[in-house]
Amino acid sequence: MTWRSPLALMRDALRGQRAREKDLRNLVSNLPYEGLEKAKQPNRHFPSNAIKTTKYTLLLFIPMNLFEQFHRLANIYFVGLAILNFIPVVNAFQPEVALIPICVILSLTALKDAWEDFRRYQSDRKLNNTPCLIYSKEKQFMERRWKDVRVGDFVKVVCNEIVPADLLLLHTSDPNSVCHIETANLDGETNLKQRTVVSGLLFEPESFSGIVVCEKPNNNLNHFKCYEKPDKERAGAGIESLLLRGCTVRNTDHAVGFVVYAHETKSMLNNNGPRYKRSKLERKLNIDVIFCVILLFTMCLVGALPPYLVPDSSGHLDSPSLSGFYMFFTLIILLQILIPISLYVSIELVKIGQIFFVTNDTDLFDEETDSRIQCKALNITEDLGQIEYVFSDKTGTLTENKMVFRRCSIMGTEYPHKENIRLAVLGEPESEEEVIFDQRPQSLQTGWSLDAEDTNPRDTTQRRGSRHRSKVTGIAQSDVAFSSPLETEVIPDKKLLQQISRAESSSGSRKTDPYLDFFLALAICNTVVVSMATAQRRRSDNLRYEAESPDEAALVYAAKAYGFILLARTPDSVTVRLPSGEDLVFKVLDTLTFDSNRKRMSVLVQHPITKEYVLYTKGADYAIMELLGTPYAQHHLDCYAKEGLRTLCVTKKVVSAKVYESWSVDRQRALAAIDNKEELIMDTAVQLETNLSLLATGIEDRLQENVPDTIMALREAGIQVWVLTGDKPETAVNIGYACRLLEEEDLIALVIDGRTLTMALSPDLQERFVDLAKRCRSVLCCRVTPLQKSRVVKVIREKLKVMTLAVDGANDVNMIQAADIGIGISGQEGMQAVMASDFAISRFRHLKKLLLVHGHWCYTRLANMIIYFFYKNVQAYVNLLFWYQFFCGFSGTAMIDYWLMIFFNLFFTSAPPIMFGIMDKDVSAEVLLGVPELYRIGQGAGEYKFSTFWVSILDAFYQSLVCFFIPYLAYQDSDIDIFTFGTPLNTISLFTILLHLSIEIKAWTVVHWVIMLGSVALYFVVTLAYSAICVTCNPPSNPYWILQSQMADPMFYLICLISTVVALLPYTFHVMRNSITPSPIVQARHLDRLDHSEREQWIKEWRSF
Amino acid sequence: MMASSYNAKDEDGHITVSGPGGGTLRSKKPENTAFKQQRLPAWQPILTAGTVLPAFFIIGLIFIPIGIGLYVTSNNIKEFEIDYTGVDMSSPCFNCSQNFSWNSTRPCTCTIPFYLDQPYESNVFMYYGLSNFYQNHRRYVKSRDDSQLNGDTESLTKPSKECEPYAFHENKPIAPCGAIANSMFNDTLELFYNNPNGTKSEIPLTTTGIAWWTDKHVKFRNPGGNNPNLTAVFQGTTKPVNWHRPVYELDTDAENNGFINEDFIVWMRTAALPTFRKLYRIIQKKNNMVPTLPRGNYTLEVVYNYPVRSFEGRKRMILSTISWMGGKNPFLGIAYITVGSVCFFLGVVLLIIHHKYGNRNNSADISN
Repeated sequence: MTWRSPLALMRDALRGQRAREKDLRNLVSNLPYEGLEKAKQPNRHFPSNAIKTTKYTLLLFIPMNLFEQFHRLANIYFVGLAILNFIPVVNAFQPEVALIPICVILSLTALKDAWEDFRRYQSDRKLNNTPCLIYSKEKQFMERRWKDVRVGDFVKVVCNEIVPADLLLLHTSDPNSVCHIETANLDGETNLKQRTVVSGLLFEPESFSGIVVCEKPNNNLNHFKCYEKPDKERAGAGIESLLLRGCTVRNTDHAVGFVVYAHETKSMLNNNGPRYKRSKLERKLNIDVIFCVILLFTMCLVGALPPYLVPDSSGHLDSPSLSGFYMFFTLIILLQILIPISLYVSIELVKIGQIFFVTNDTDLFDEETDSRIQCKALNITEDLGQIEYVFSDKTGTLTENKMVFRRCSIMGTEYPHKENIRLAVLGEPESEEEVIFDQRPQSLQTGWSLDAEDTNPRDTTQRRGSRHRSKVTGIAQSDVAFSSPLETEVIPDKKLLQQISRAESSSGSRKTDPYLDFFLALAICNTVVVSMATAQRRRSDNLRYEAESPDEAALVYAAKAYGFILLARTPDSVTVRLPSGEDLVFKVLDTLTFDSNRKRMSVLVQHPITKEYVLYTKGADYAIMELLGTPYAQHHLDCYAKEGLRTLCVTKKVVSAKVYESWSVDRQRALAAIDNKEELIMDTAVQLETNLSLLATGIEDRLQENVPDTIMALREAGIQVWVLTGDKPETAVNIGYACRLLEEEDLIALVIDGRTLTMALSPDLQERFVDLAKRCRSVLCCRVTPLQKSRVVKVIREKLKVMTLAVDGANDVNMIQAADIGIGISGQEGMQAVMASDFAISRFRHLKKLLLVHGHWCYTRLANMIIYFFYKNVQAYVNLLFWYQFFCGFSGTAMIDYWLMIFFNLFFTSAPPIMFGIMDKDVSAEVLLGVPELYRIGQGAGEYKFSTFWVSILDAFYQSLVCFFIPYLAYQDSDIDIFTFGTPLNTISLFTILLHLSIEIKAWTVVHWVIMLGSVALYFVVTLAYSAICVTCNPPSNPYWILQSQMADPMFYLICLISTVVALLPYTFHVMRNSITPSPIVQARHLDRLDHSEREQWIKEWRSF
Repeated sequence: MMASSYNAKDEDGHITVSGPGGGTLRSKKPENTAFKQQRLPAWQPILTAGTVLPAFFIIGLIFIPIGIGLYVTSNNIKEFEIDYTGVDMSSPCFNCSQNFSWNSTRPCTCTIPFYLDQPYESNVFMYYGLSNFYQNHRRYVKSRDDSQLNGDTESLTKPSKECEPYAFHENKPIAPCGAIANSMFNDTLELFYNNPNGTKSEIPLTTTGIAWWTDKHVKFRNPGGNNPNLTAVFQGTTKPVNWHRPVYELDTDAENNGFINEDFIVWMRTAALPTFRKLYRIIQKKNNMVPTLPRGNYTLEVVYNYPVRSFEGRKRMILSTISWMGGKNPFLGIAYITVGSVCFFLGVVLLIIHHKYGNRNNSADISN
């Protein structure tokens, strides 16, 4: 590199900064500049593709890591104390020794950070060195590494390779200029998506002289704006021409793209690292830590006061006020352990352990998708045990989101597809259903005129409702595999088949019969990709359809069943085989893709025979109805909804050539726009989607297995379950019955729709709405928008101050983020919910074990561990040392060797509480699942109450009094020296602490025994070794041979024995309470001891009440 | 916080790069082991009246005999204590305590007569006791140099700064340095038996065997190894300010001189509590025929050097026989008896509770 003036360098850097921050970026090809020095490269300002996710560098690790760690208040506190210890007038220990605990904590954390960072570095390196093909001056693609990719390069990606950077698609091997990609790495969706080459461009790398203008990088995966200026004309391109980094190219031999973003790719910008939420328990814990600080200050003040009250009590050298002041700080140093330094570290270790066990539960593993539960938020496991409200979406959450075409209504005639239903019923052993079903067709076969429907609708729906319900429960009980042929195979309705064949024969080549149109619409109006991998020979039975949403696939399969087979889809054409065997190739003029505002999508095609421009639109019923002249077939739709079917409407509109011409100009302009592109595109879509004529369908979305059972269990556990859905009220109510959210005998159930909800959530009505909802056994909100869902969650959470959990299987990120815990169900479509969630499960039924068992365990374990930790730190040392101050003139003397004190907290008593927090099991999973009422223990204040903290502190005070004063009285007026006096205190303290924990431990496994006995053994081995080795190692303490001589003295054992017994004597009250008024947990534990069959019997008996 | 993730992909946004057509076939199904599924066989004790009952009775049954044993043992220990501070005008040592001056060359002596109403049979331990003496004050406790006392020649000439302000005197290092050594107890106590015929016979007091063996042989060493000429060894050092004699003149016996003087070692083992006693001498039992200290009149002769009145302290001389449980202390025996009885009582209470409520547990309902 040639020498450049610093000024020029700075100017260049500033220019680069500006270029990066501009709203629009101008990119040119790198090819003409290849080989030139960096300063001459036009795209030099944009970062290269090498990624670096490491937080630290080798040289700066220590300062950076320390800086990071000192963001924690506790660390600063302890470093402050250690520094205080260097001031001679106040120091309590050897200054260097006082640094040990904080150093150990800091270095352990640093070690962990370093290891994590190293792992990141390794995977970065692996990724950066992945080979890829870049076009070079030699007029061919050369093999390079991912890190060499720069903005402005041409990159070739071959089939099954991963895209190295965000590429603007310029060329593919596919004759239709499309490229299929799989975005599983980005959002988990495994269906193929189609990307098209930027239109109006010829691809020749050498002559690519245009400028690509694109927006500033952002993290929206579904959105991109850019245009190219080869000459004067602009060619717009959107997300449909962008290959995102991390996607896999499928079904396409190769594709070539122009790198628009390297490093600042959408996938990189999307990744914000693990979420950090603060759990309810932790918030309470912080309050208690503040109480500890107050307690510490009080104790230190008590210690600092004597020089004022009793002047000259032990010959102080300084003035009383000054010495009191010094003493205050000395005591803070001495009693610092009251603020548990190791508590935060232990809590994190415990949570890691808890997550390990949660993710390793085979019951939360789904064989079908081969996925475990994913814990994305790492520090709110205990919140799972405190949930009071569950908000659930319907589609993909309660239901499978595997759609099956059920029935349709064409031209006002209903085709019930009873064969389909029969197929579903056939699989069940119950014959009763069939009877009910057999009775029904009579009323149906009489023609389903709208009048007949009106006369007796309640009756039929009721019966159908019950049939539906029992069918679902039937499935829930038997483990029917859900990927049965049912999903794809539709048995055509005979009447409808007749209609089609009649229409086909009569209309001849014109093909404008509404029946034919209906099925053509089903086949054409979608974005389904026909998978080539399985359909190479274009044999129709081998077709595989890849759809972005399951209902699209259901409709295409339905059309296929009637002989309208979608054979191929390219951006410009759709090929459909008619029942007659004739292949029709429709020219696709435009596709108005689905968006959540319009709730519909349209395809504009030109009919190959009639040459008419036809617009097929498909969407949610209410989204379509408003565009229709007359409310047509509304009754059928209502009836479908009552059956719990999801209704979709399909419409057709013939567009005149003139209208199309003028519209397409607007459309083109909108596509090339950068500002307000979405609105413009939507406006053009809305322009066209008017005056439609209707064709309707009903699609069933089946409930997932064990949903009713799970909901029942959650309600028994005292959890309010709300279902928030975008469906119609009728559908929602039906689903409500199906999943036993609503029950026949339920009198108080609230069903509210979106519009009413908006009013109910207005500030003046909010209170009353919440009050009403609180009294209802179940609440069902229908027709609600994602935004309303999140508002409902927020209002309930804030007004009632309850713990909320939101479950969603699709894209309701808002709701999931509004709740205390968001759970995503990785289902069929849309993984955004999963990406935004704190926990991701694969089936709704997993919620039962996750909450009732793991939630309960995690909560009780952590709560008990925290309480124990406070107890331990107050009891051990802090109070012993404090009482000793009364006998050493409040001078801050410690009667225990400082090294042993450090060891005590660091080694002898640290492992048992962590093990307790990870592994304790108060009640077995079977009983927790069998008696969901046990979950109520964690709700509200739970086990970790304000009083619990103070009771444990009081207990600690009592125990410390015993542990100090029994040895004190026994050694009074004897020739005992300081450290010999400290030894039994230390030992008693250890035994009391461990035995206290032993009483708290509910289930002793091998691990418990090993750790508990190991801790005791470690104490004696380490202390004995230390006492044997340390002759003058740690002045002024004098540990040499003390424990040895003590252990040779029977008095030592007698004092330890009685102190421990007296310290633990208050547990008798506990025992009496367990016997006289046993808590539910104690009763459940009794239950646990019964053998399996007896327990089942008991639970069943109890259930029947 | 120390958040770490189980899912590297989520954490770093890394894309798992697998070979073409990739994807491993290994199932992600968690291992079905007892440990991972939290199904390890476990002992699940429930603390109810029924289950802990035996423990209470056992504790009661064990503690009460131990308590009685301890109480009897403690009662059998003979102990005699005499305060010779000299606070009262009537006290023989009143004058000595009043006229105290650090610089006086002529020692002040006082004689205290006392009467032992029962004979002391076994070895008798003679203690001096001090009260309101905070030997455990933090700044006092650390004012010593253990490596100097361990015979380290470098520390001999350069005492640790912990010894300040008793590290150097007149630019000479103090040996032994520090406040503890400086304040060493230096009264001399002698015991005489007043024979019925009016003559006094001195009771022989053993000066060795009063310190911990490990202190005498490991922790405390004279500098210069086994050099018997301690005067030469301590050349260049000076005596603690308050001492009358340098450290190498504490005793004539070479094995009990210098840093390994047992009186010194005993003093250096700082007491845990402000009222304490330290072993001073041992009165060895001569033979089985005569008691070590027969019943009768005795005289304690004190060379009164050690001032305690400035801090309202007290000085005592204690004669005690000892048992396996050390000196006389009835507390532990009483405590054992009390706790044993309480446990026994609680056991009875629990027995009643168990009878009344014990059978209910299995049929209890959980819901409310």
